[in-house]
Amino acid sequence: MAPRRGSALLFAVPVLALSLFLVGCPKRPATTAASAPPPTGSPSPSAAAPSTAPSPSMTPSPVAPSTSPTNPPAPSEFRATDNLKDVFFDFDKYDIRANDAKILDTNATWLKSNDNLVLIEGHCDERGTNEYNLALGERRAKATMNYLVSQGVQASRITIISYGKERPTCTEHTESCWAQNRRAHFLVKAR
Amino acid sequence: MSLNRLSSLLRPGRPLAVIAALALVAVTAGALSSPPPARSQGADVLLNVLATGAKKLNIVIPNFAVLSGPDTSNLSRGMAQVTARDLTFSSLFSVVSDVPPIPTSDPAAVRAAFASFASAGAHAGLQGLVSWRGDRTEVEMRLYDLTSPEFRLIASKKIELPSTQTRRLAHKVADEVVMQFTGEPGIADTKIAYVHGAGGVKELSLMDYDGAGASAVTSNRSINLSPMWSPDTRSLAFTSYMRGYPYLYRMFPFENRPPQVVAGFLGINSSPAFSPDGRFLAMTLSRDGNPEIYVLNLATGAFRRLTTYSGIDTEPTWSPTGREIAFVSERAGGAHVFVMDAEGANVRRLTRAGFNTQPRWSPKGDTIAFTSRQGNFDLWAVSPDGSNLRRLTAGPGNNEGSSWAPNGRHLVFQSSRSGGYQLFTMLADGSEQQPIARMPGESTSAAWSPRLP
Repeated sequence: MAPRRGSALLFAVPVLALSLFLVGCPKRPATTAASAPPPTGSPSPSAAAPSTAPSPSMTPSPVAPSTSPTNPPAPSEFRATDNLKDVFFDFDKYDIRANDAKILDTNATWLKSNDNLVLIEGHCDERGTNEYNLALGERRAKATMNYLVSQGVQASRITIISYGKERPTCTEHTESCWAQNRRAHFLVKAR
Repeated sequence: MSLNRLSSLLRPGRPLAVIAALALVAVTAGALSSPPPARSQGADVLLNVLATGAKKLNIVIPNFAVLSGPDTSNLSRGMAQVTARDLTFSSLFSVVSDVPPIPTSDPAAVRAAFASFASAGAHAGLQGLVSWRGDRTEVEMRLYDLTSPEFRLIASKKIELPSTQTRRLAHKVADEVVMQFTGEPGIADTKIAYVHGAGGVKELSLMDYDGAGASAVTSNRSINLSPMWSPDTRSLAFTSYMRGYPYLYRMFPFENRPPQVVAGFLGINSSPAFSPDGRFLAMTLSRDGNPEIYVLNLATGAFRRLTTYSGIDTEPTWSPTGREIAFVSERAGGAHVFVMDAEGANVRRLTRAGFNTQPRWSPKGDTIAFTSRQGNFDLWAVSPDGSNLRRLTAGPGNNEGSSWAPNGRHLVFQSSRSGGYQLFTMLADGSEQQPIARMPGESTSAAWSPRLP
């Protein structure tokens, strides 16, 4: 057998760190080229399918859902207003709290005398998953919409959007901050 | 028993003595029926080593030798280093590298080198022979059993790729070494898609599984979420606000074509998950009034609704057989993980305590990882029958959003342990937690690709 000159190789300490070896990345071509078209201010032809057909077998094209005259305006077309106040929610809840119902009553009164379209944004705090919070924000916006409708605001004037945890107003990691982020927020657009 | 079975036994948490005993049976039985010579030799070496009580197989990976062409950038050394790092990451090997190349022409010198490695405790040796051929590079890998007196050759294989992909070539060598010893290829030739950024702009990015070669996938200055790979690794499904509302898109990161809208209904279009055969895409839509789980037949465009609860149902994840889907529902109060069959029937509850989201079914089928909030957020795992509930992380910070490597032995996840969210990996039992690469800004929602073709 060979001399033991290799005994300097000891396996007690596994490998050394990989140093600078960043040349020649094994990438397929054109990795970054296919980015999306920029957001536009007007509804895209494939922007939204009708929401009025709850049949599970309803089948828009998987590539380009059919357009519909009921397409809502893009969120960017709505504007903030001081006339509609935010309402807030408990952690992982989407029921309207009693104090917030009074705020919504005031909002409903204003909406009934001002014929705007309204966009209700549902928001969540930063805790939990993006996907679950998207669903939770949707439920908050929907619960808010349902309350306004129960107070006589036409459902056809209202569009909802969930931003989940993606657009917090407050970015500190504290309960007081989280409470501000668990909200439904209102924007309006003239008809 | 097959060698595939052997690799499934080689998972963390299992006593190694048990692995060795079971696997010896596996190899013996396999050899009696249909012996694939190269593989069973490698498995034999590994099993004999584990049978001695060793925890890992010691492998020496000298710098690759250059047979032809220039090596001005010293890439043959760099490639060996990448392979070495991959094999260390696999947790099956203890690796020694950064050793001079094994001489290629003198048999006596080769033997002397192997003898010295063996006397230092090496069980196996990997020789890499690199040939540069213009825009192509070839590596011939030779794997030797250093526990045998004659240092027998376990396997040899030539792998060739464009010369711009030498790093990938080194990953493929590592995956072949794992294949030779366990019967299942390694996971080094994979990508991780993830969400990068915060504060209202989140873009999708891609990197190699080890953090190298990060590159942008989207650049729409919008919110892009929840990337999921198609099984053929050609496309990613994801949610984006690029057109204002949260629609579900599919894009082809390696091809030059625009993203397709997959679902653009009123409400949310989110949480995509391709079926294992790639024919269906499960997702969450609120078009019928509240978040429900649907399955889209990608060939026909037909949507099928699977859930009917009046509150939140979301985050579907397929079993590797495609026969079942785990998901999150608040139907029992709070958020819990449930399992249903792929038609939506036979719903059963998996979790009881905590606030549980992000179920991710292991590609091996035997485990569902999920995120549980019991104070902070941490990763847990449970068997699909609800048994064997165990905790994988225990802080610090929040640990969330796992995704399985295609061999079911590793998980990538996001952790806030060092401040903003960064991506980490760990073994399936929660051990060996380590950061992938420190990126500027926050990195979340990692999706580990299947093996690249």
